[in-house]
Amino acid sequence: MNEPAGPHRSIPVWDVAVRVLHWSLVLTVAAAWLTRHSPGRWHEWLGYATLAIVAARTAWGFIGAGYARFADFIRPVPVTAAYARDVLAHRDARYVGHNPLGGWMVAALLALVVSVGLTGWLYTTDRFWGVPWVEELHETLSDVLFAFVALHIAGVAFTSVRHRENLVAAMLHGRKRADVRDGPQHS
Amino acid sequence: MSRRITNAALAAALSLVPFAMAGATGLATCDSGSPDTWQPQEKLTAMLKEKGWEIRNVKVDGGCYEVYALDEKKERVEAYFHPVTLERVETASE
Repeated sequence: MNEPAGPHRSIPVWDVAVRVLHWSLVLTVAAAWLTRHSPGRWHEWLGYATLAIVAARTAWGFIGAGYARFADFIRPVPVTAAYARDVLAHRDARYVGHNPLGGWMVAALLALVVSVGLTGWLYTTDRFWGVPWVEELHETLSDVLFAFVALHIAGVAFTSVRHRENLVAAMLHGRKRADVRDGPQHS
Repeated sequence: MSRRITNAALAAALSLVPFAMAGATGLATCDSGSPDTWQPQEKLTAMLKEKGWEIRNVKVDGGCYEVYALDEKKERVEAYFHPVTLERVETASE
């Protein structure tokens, strides 16, 4: 290492928008799940809130800077497949931002929240109210969303142990260990 | 080492399993006994269509018939009916 500040130097990675939007989405999705059979319109308002959060995060993925940008973490499929093989072979590189699989997980989670939100909204229209296939689609998509949430948490746990860093804490305070071997980093 | 990581990841994923369990909604319950004693669903839907309702779906929830429909004013309703008396049952604060 030729980094003068030493190996324990930490750098800002997740900006305030990324962190606030991440945890707001966690809270609204969890609350939407808990209110799925509640009387009144809480579930609907929570659904609109998730869509607003996803819209904001998507916009930030284009107009934000550094590690928040989709361009930073949506990588070509061959690169992602190679990374997956590296994980299995236990030779995966550490990424300061999202790793290739994590990046696609972000995209999948955003798309799933949108699909659950839109089918839920559809169910509240006069045209599709009470129509069984709309309800079943909404429920199936939300099951798929929760399966991906489980995979996301498993991936975060795996990568945290693998590279000896607490990624949940990093999403709270926004900072991660700098590591000069990791290649180019955003300022 | 890598097995320990896999186990940690698996434990994290499994912690979500109780989240995926679901049951009756609890929006309304009917003390309706055995389903053999219930009036047929078709009788209820015929009765409601007579009133001008457009029936979208009928389910059984908490021992009641749960009806999704547009009522005679074309308003969206999710209404509960006692399967023996076919009387409307109030739902929790709506």
